[in-house]
Amino acid sequence: MLWVCLYFPSLALDIFARAWHDEDAAQQFVVASGGNAPKVILANDAAREAGIRRGQTISAALALAPDIVLRDRDPSGEAHAIAQLATWTLRFTPQVSIIAADALVLEIGGSLRLFGGLSPLVTRISNGVKAQGYQAQLGIAPSPTAALLLARAMNAHSIRDARELPCILAPLPLKLLDIDADTLATLAAAGVTTFGQAAALPRDALARRCGQRFITTLDRALARSPDPRVPYVPPPCFSSRLELPVPVADIEALSFGVNRLVHELTAWLSARGLGAVRLSLTLTHEHYLQQRGVPPTHVPFTLGAPARTPAHLIGVLRERLARVALPAPVEAIVLESEETAPLAGRNLGLLPEDEADAAQVPLVDRLRARLGDDAVTLLAPHAEHRPEKSDRTRVARATLQSKMPARKVHKDSESLPEAPRPLWLLAEPEPLQHRLEHAPWALKDGPERIESGWWDGNDLRRDYFVAETPDGAIVWIYRDHRYGVDDGEWFLHGLFA
Amino acid sequence: MNSALATLLSNPAIWRGDDCAPEPATLPSGFAAVDAALPGHGWPQGALTEMLIEREGIGELRLTLPALLRVQAQGRDVVWIAPPHRPYAPALAAAGLDLARFYVVRCHDAKDALWAYEQALRAPECGAAFAWIAAHDERVLRRLQVAAREGKTWGVLWRRPGQRASASAAPLRLALAPRLGKLTVRVLKRRGAELPQPVVVGGLELISKWGEQPEYLSWPNEGPQRAPR
Repeated sequence: MLWVCLYFPSLALDIFARAWHDEDAAQQFVVASGGNAPKVILANDAAREAGIRRGQTISAALALAPDIVLRDRDPSGEAHAIAQLATWTLRFTPQVSIIAADALVLEIGGSLRLFGGLSPLVTRISNGVKAQGYQAQLGIAPSPTAALLLARAMNAHSIRDARELPCILAPLPLKLLDIDADTLATLAAAGVTTFGQAAALPRDALARRCGQRFITTLDRALARSPDPRVPYVPPPCFSSRLELPVPVADIEALSFGVNRLVHELTAWLSARGLGAVRLSLTLTHEHYLQQRGVPPTHVPFTLGAPARTPAHLIGVLRERLARVALPAPVEAIVLESEETAPLAGRNLGLLPEDEADAAQVPLVDRLRARLGDDAVTLLAPHAEHRPEKSDRTRVARATLQSKMPARKVHKDSESLPEAPRPLWLLAEPEPLQHRLEHAPWALKDGPERIESGWWDGNDLRRDYFVAETPDGAIVWIYRDHRYGVDDGEWFLHGLFA
Repeated sequence: MNSALATLLSNPAIWRGDDCAPEPATLPSGFAAVDAALPGHGWPQGALTEMLIEREGIGELRLTLPALLRVQAQGRDVVWIAPPHRPYAPALAAAGLDLARFYVVRCHDAKDALWAYEQALRAPECGAAFAWIAAHDERVLRRLQVAAREGKTWGVLWRRPGQRASASAAPLRLALAPRLGKLTVRVLKRRGAELPQPVVVGGLELISKWGEQPEYLSWPNEGPQRAPR
């Protein structure tokens, strides 16, 4: 077993800063604890250069740098971010656990071969985390607790052999372990501050003074006792919210945030083996406007087939968003999955061009995104004698398509009429009367009596003929016999185009 | 012919005025007479074809059906954009089209329709895109032609009766008209020499007894009558 721990020291800051563009990094940014006397919890590089330190009061920080951007700490946002990162790391290994409020552990022993060894895998993980806007410290060790310790200690060595652990862990301070403050104080009073000192103490005495849990933690760190972790299971529904650094009034400027959310969504989809069918994007407007009753803008969109390629979803969303008129500036974006369908994994292409091809947004999705959900339709014949009712139109949609088994199509084709049918059917039958005045029409085929529909009030009795007009068009006409035979009017109903 | 001359003429760099320019990829139309008139013996895949029809209902769509079947057999989709009437599913299914790969796109205005048409022409999964759009702007047509070339799509721009266009960027322009109960195709423009004689298309008959003496329908007596012999 080999574990890698991802520790996010600046998570409280990153969840806000990741919505920013790179050029915004120069802005001094501080996360405060909130409450009566707010203190600085975390500050970004620019703020630290201005002399802002952790634990300072906000008033002191404001005195040092009056232009800082200030946000209150958002514990639920942090928990959400950790869960989202855990979902994302499921692409590397099936065994992921949230070990602390700001750390994940991944069992990568089984994935080394697939990803071409330890260092390519670690590079991939750290690059992926960076691309999502988070800063992580990695620790690699044969036990999760040791990996967490190494990650917190910023120890970049990867330990693969458990026998190296006592030597490597010995100089690390004990406060890096998740143990309660009383135990730490007791040990510190006895002059025990490092891991090595604690591990060297007699176990019985240590257990009496600090409790069995402390002994277990030490053993787990040294990979001497089993270290079970609850595996992380991605949630059944996806919902993610991104706060924007400043309210945005321009749709184009939203794309950066939308891209971030789509990447989170695709990570969730692939972790659960699903493809998105129906999604909804909610644009929350500024707080004071909400109180005045401006509702958030909902942008629902449906895909032609289950999809989870980021390029595909982003392409569809961009088209969809281009047609949205914003009533007010947007403060936050929320992306939710409303309907999903199972989507099997796809084999990767052998050549890079294969991938480029697959990343294209399917035509149907692009058309629907811009023209509306019901603009693209599929036709199907329907077993019904009345010509107006013998076809069905349905919106080209993934779920409907999969519900139509091939057998049923076959049955429909058996029920197709023997007599010729026109390729164009007129929306409304046109009375012929005056068209016949100049020259007679030649009846080429017929009559075909169609008499049906007495049960639903739309009954008809018609004799259909294939006719040739004097100017050479082939048409489908009928004589209406609803009110008696051979005295009804003639109608044009279709064109043999 | 002299064999040395024949060798020389077979050089692909030499183009003779009486034959057609080579078409990169074509789609056999299914009608021998039409194929003979088209450069590359088929509908151009990767170019715009403009069809000017004298009136509707003369077999203009039936002319394209064998090629559409071939497009679907290649695993590509057929897309119809802004059709003027309701494409009738029983007739399409009877012709053998796979209706799961046949999309009908309805648009609110001409601008949307043009956009959709360009997308369809450019899309690799779309093999044939038909559109009923009144596009006369030279630049628009050129853009559509480029899109068709990039997507290797057979694009047909239907000109409804009364929609006359003068110059066009489409490399193939045909005028369809009925004559004596048969569809005739006149090649207005092609990549190659002019073809003065219209082509008569056989094999479009709906029913076997097409040539028989018909009954006539006239007004005001309004009944089917046997025609006087």
